[in-house]
Amino acid sequence: MLMFQALLAYSKVVDAINERVGTTVKWLILGSVLVSAGNATSRYALGMASNAWLELQWYFFAAVYMLGAAYTLKRNEHVRIDLVSSRLTARTRNWIDAGGMLIFVMPTTLYICLESIPNFWESVLNQEVSQNAGGLIRWPLRILVPIGFGLLFLQAGSEFIKRVAFLRGEGEDVLESGGHPDMDMDDDEISEETK
Amino acid sequence: MEAFLQANLAPVMFGTLIFFLLSGFPVAFSLAANGILFGLIGIELGLLDFVLLQALPERVYGLLQNDTLLAIPFFTFMGILLQRSGMAEDLLESAGQLFGPLPGGLGYAVILVGALLAATTGVVAASVISMGLISLPVMMRYGFNNGVAAGLLTSAGSLAQVIPPSLVLIVLADVLGVSVGDAYRGALVPSFLMVGLLLAYVAFLSITKPHLVPALPPEARTMRGWTLVKSILVSMVPPVLLIFLVLGTIFIGWATPTEGGAMGAMGALILAFVRRRLSKETLRGALDTTTKLATFVMFILVGSTIFALTFRAINGDIWIEHLFSLVPGGETGFMIFVSVLVFVLGFFIDFFEIAFILMPLIGPVAENMGINMVWFLVLVGMNMAISFLTPPFGFALFYLRSVAPKKGYVDKITGRKVPGMSTTQIYKGVLPFICIQVLSMILIFIFPEWVTGPEVVINEADLENISFDMGPDDDGGLGGFGLPGDAGDSGGEIKLPGFE
Amino acid sequence: ASHALPELNWRLATSVPPTIEFYEGAVTFAEEVERMTDGKFKIRVFAGGELVPAFGVFDAVSDGTVEMGHTASYYYFGKNEAYALDTTVPFGMNYRQFQAWWNYGNGKTLIQDLFAKANIVPFPAGNTGVQMGGWFNKEVKSVADLDGLKMRIGGMGGKIIQKLGVVPQSVPGADIYPSLEKGTIDAAEWIGPHDDMKLGFNQVASYYYTPGWWEAGPNLSVYINKEKFDALPVEYQAIVEAAATRANVDMMSSYDAKNPVALKKLISTGTKLRAFPRDVLEAAYAAAQETYAELRESNPDFKLIYDDMVKFQKDQNLWAGVAEGRQDAFMQSISR
Ligand code: NA
Ligand code: NA
Repeated sequence: MLMFQALLAYSKVVDAINERVGTTVKWLILGSVLVSAGNATSRYALGMASNAWLELQWYFFAAVYMLGAAYTLKRNEHVRIDLVSSRLTARTRNWIDAGGMLIFVMPTTLYICLESIPNFWESVLNQEVSQNAGGLIRWPLRILVPIGFGLLFLQAGSEFIKRVAFLRGEGEDVLESGGHPDMDMDDDEISEETK
Repeated sequence: MEAFLQANLAPVMFGTLIFFLLSGFPVAFSLAANGILFGLIGIELGLLDFVLLQALPERVYGLLQNDTLLAIPFFTFMGILLQRSGMAEDLLESAGQLFGPLPGGLGYAVILVGALLAATTGVVAASVISMGLISLPVMMRYGFNNGVAAGLLTSAGSLAQVIPPSLVLIVLADVLGVSVGDAYRGALVPSFLMVGLLLAYVAFLSITKPHLVPALPPEARTMRGWTLVKSILVSMVPPVLLIFLVLGTIFIGWATPTEGGAMGAMGALILAFVRRRLSKETLRGALDTTTKLATFVMFILVGSTIFALTFRAINGDIWIEHLFSLVPGGETGFMIFVSVLVFVLGFFIDFFEIAFILMPLIGPVAENMGINMVWFLVLVGMNMAISFLTPPFGFALFYLRSVAPKKGYVDKITGRKVPGMSTTQIYKGVLPFICIQVLSMILIFIFPEWVTGPEVVINEADLENISFDMGPDDDGGLGGFGLPGDAGDSGGEIKLPGFE
Repeated sequence: ASHALPELNWRLATSVPPTIEFYEGAVTFAEEVERMTDGKFKIRVFAGGELVPAFGVFDAVSDGTVEMGHTASYYYFGKNEAYALDTTVPFGMNYRQFQAWWNYGNGKTLIQDLFAKANIVPFPAGNTGVQMGGWFNKEVKSVADLDGLKMRIGGMGGKIIQKLGVVPQSVPGADIYPSLEKGTIDAAEWIGPHDDMKLGFNQVASYYYTPGWWEAGPNLSVYINKEKFDALPVEYQAIVEAAATRANVDMMSSYDAKNPVALKKLISTGTKLRAFPRDVLEAAYAAAQETYAELRESNPDFKLIYDDMVKFQKDQNLWAGVAEGRQDAFMQSISR
């Protein structure tokens, strides 16, 4: 029991970390837009352009989705096919999710996280740079893989704990929430079709 | 059992993926999990070494370097800003006002906007998501049938595959050894055909089943005469400006097609700011949504890359190759089989994977049969567009699902309750649209000259007399393996410094 | 052999799709190995990105993810500039000179020692010959015309041509064609007539410049993981090297046979052939010397190999100008 409380505490901490990471890296979308539009404009209007800036735009985007993946998982925004699962009970859906997180997502993300560290480290030692004239140094891009998958590993653990908590009757059904941030949601309203 | 698995691991892997996807586990992680599971099974069966899985981080890193995919966040962000700032609604509303009493008006608008978006990007995800964000709330507000709306949005979004410029066409051209220019030109008539048929279908619906595609209700048609003209002109300014920023800057050589997306996003930011609709909250929300949408799209690619590594390592591509050797019926049989295969594969794997796994196998077969490769390429492209909107796994459907409200909600403008859009509605709704796309494909199949145009014949005899004139700086004497020679002079002593 | 030779199934990762001609080099190599071992040693060739990313071949062979690769070492210039010397550097050796340096100069020893540090054994296994200078929408009549010219050119060529005022732009692959068409960039370089024609650059650019001085005979290499290579029976080691040699000759012959036909076709569709003026070549040569001086300072590996190569190359050019060059120049002049 105490053990499970500790796990729930872990889950809370991980959720808070990834929430913070996700809400921070989203600004890099704006950065990417500004840099890209800036590149085009400076090349056209001033005849000035550099490969460093051209590469920076996709460094930013890579950072967004590598570091934002765990946040997206936490918000339950990784798309699912609910054709069959929408007909399953909440318990079954949580069982499937818990199993998937524990058996597949956690080992896979941990493996890729650990396996990518040597590549990153070698890139630091070699001071690996872009092939393009004036391009950027590569380790800041490479380090996104271990960090991104590390965060995903932590979040998959947290999601597993939350599913188990629901199955033990100690937590809410996270799979029920999450959804469509751009619509004015009225949770009490149920679709005419699905009633 | 072990012998059976060893011989049939690829088809078993395929079947298992379907099971994983249907379990409701996230698509990205289902693909990845399937890849890892069968990687381990393959190792157990001695079909591959564990060491091959070391390729996974490198493959993910390779994906990070794919700069073409930047179009996804740019167009998504632009779409979300347009939607959140209300500018897209204004456009669609005034388009609705313009079409006035015409039923299906919003449908025409969606198709034309979709074609315009398609002409700016080749990324279906960006098209469907941004169009869904822009148009869906308006369509739902005014009682457009959910199924028709879903079909319109996904098929108009899938146009991005076929209407040049298109990432799909570029990748296919590359893999099939066709020039990109020929691919673009070849795709022109099919693009117009698809857009035309979609418009015709909306017109047909508006006559036969007008209640599915209602005109704006009278209370929403508030403007008439001069007021309407003015409102249209005013609401047209932002989109026209954006279209200039996206298409015009590409056209005049200001921006590359990728940067055009960023120009559009910048424009949307500035317009929202000028119209005082860019609160810090709006910006935060738009960035947040873009992050989550772009991330799930990219992670489907990450999942695909894990799946594809194992699928290839257990010789899944050889299995596919083997299937081809069994196909009867010559050229027609081959084309039909290819179409079915691409169609089915398009459910499961991204077009990159189709292009890189399947096309290298069947491209040479097609070429040997004397099939025109541009025509072949365009048909494959159209085919993929269809498979992307085919239930239950079409990617365009996932994208729409991710932006369509499942549950009902209260509309801010009308204050009315709007019922949500169920997955079943989406699936049923796209069926007629699939028929339209299949029809256009059949037409292209029957009339290859719509793609290839009149054949340009290079006369081999003319090639004999071609001169390799190199312009004014051609110094005439080229020195083969050494210094610029002076062959043709009167000979004599050779003066080569350093070689006494 | 007195002992039984093992049955092997290896994987070979390449950096290009099968439509680029030099993919065939990998295929030839694999087929030759299989033929020479009577089917005992099988090698499956994978296109770029199929197993590992196009530019991940080096790392994949180095850490044993795949046993073999077929790639151009200058793609890994960012890891160590000296790797480029296994392929080509601007104003580097042509195909024949490179073979002489590899087989009878110090090329093989120097390059293989360098790659041994990364656990890779490289052998030459293909060459495109001197490449073309690329597709331009503006005429280059002098160095001044290069100022502000936006060009899609990567690698060392990009670094050097930058010194002549060119703005090198790394444009996403999908954007190259439309960018050249609309004038977002003014020029783009690729390979030579046979490969370039497939991409249709002739439809969006008017001038086809020669020569591609930054790629005067790029050598493509077969990489073998060093531990795995060392563990091979000597027969197989010899066969691998022989098969690479065969692929090396085969690819060059294939390009030589196909390029003139393709160039005629390009010209028949309106492409205007142009030669870089001599002042451009001289300015580029001077800029290249500056770059090499810097690299010799900063990178001891580069200095060691480059100095040896340059010394060898100088004699090659002197000798070629005496016999081969004069003979070729005469034959070329009466063939035009
Ligand atoms: Na498109
Ligand atoms: Na080149």
